[in-house]
Amino acid sequence: MKIIKSKGPEIFDIELEKDLLAKNKSLARKNRKRFDSSNILAIDIMGSIGSGKTSLIKAVLRKLRMGTKVAVIAGDLTTTIDAERIKTEGARVIQVNTGKECHLDANLIRQAVDKMKLAGVEVLFIENVGNLICPGEFPLGAHKRLVVTSVTEGPYTLMKHPYIFREADIIVLNKIDLAKAMRVNPSRLERDAYRINPQAPFIKANALKGIGIPKLIEALGLES
Amino acid sequence: MHEFSIADEIVKNVLETAKKNKGKKVVSILLEIGELTHLNGEQVSFWIKELFKDSVAEGAEVKIKTVKARIQCKGCGYKGGMGSDQEDSFRHLIPASCPRCNSFQIKIEKGRECILRRIQVLK
Repeated sequence: MKIIKSKGPEIFDIELEKDLLAKNKSLARKNRKRFDSSNILAIDIMGSIGSGKTSLIKAVLRKLRMGTKVAVIAGDLTTTIDAERIKTEGARVIQVNTGKECHLDANLIRQAVDKMKLAGVEVLFIENVGNLICPGEFPLGAHKRLVVTSVTEGPYTLMKHPYIFREADIIVLNKIDLAKAMRVNPSRLERDAYRINPQAPFIKANALKGIGIPKLIEALGLES
Repeated sequence: MHEFSIADEIVKNVLETAKKNKGKKVVSILLEIGELTHLNGEQVSFWIKELFKDSVAEGAEVKIKTVKARIQCKGCGYKGGMGSDQEDSFRHLIPASCPRCNSFQIKIEKGRECILRRIQVLK
């Protein structure tokens, strides 16, 4: 901190270099180191409200059959609905309630991990708060970031929210069985995804029926 | 959308710094916000001013400097802005590719920060 006296006898300039977003990034790096040292693969799952993040996690857990080798951090504003839903698949679950906050941040994940018993855990799913804007700006330290969107969100979601899709390692288009009823062309969304993020695999899925789940498991580097 | 929480963090930092430096009043603060963040300067400024109320910083001027994006292309080695032919306000909506070779293999070097750069206090 540098203090410069200026403009008359009483006004002082205090020079700082406080990056308010950097704080989250450095905490995220610490989380990553912690996951690495415990040999845990951490996956951040982002997507809008009702896109099917919880259903997708459930479908992956059902296919993996890894029991308590999988842990899930379920982020939401106030309820434990998602945590209860996931518990039925046999994974360890901890609920993180953000209150009014629109995204999880690295500090919340650090606290959640402190509370969890991670011994024996190989995969950690972190379900972010349903939101396509803010989570993109707050890395949590996960190895992979997955963005879930669904045809029921209409035909423009990807082009309207390129930022978060650009951050994604994998993009899942859920509820493809409803494409016709929604008059949404999945190929067009796939093309949008390619324009925004050509590196990310684009997986068409129907989480409730288990369609696309083997592909997703493969893209995540998990064996079923 | 998370302007409020960022504003809250900024206000905490400003008030702590003012106290540490025995400032009786905060005259102004300077923020640098990258154009690739999803932070709306006007909203950030509004919340800061609201949160400054009833503190030594009430009424302080909130100056915001926008930091232009700077990228480095892994394909052709280009270093610089993201291309000036795109409309400023929508630049972050355009898939970021190199303005010289159109490669998507780019590294964003600047434009994603939110820095509290300067606080002016009255002693």
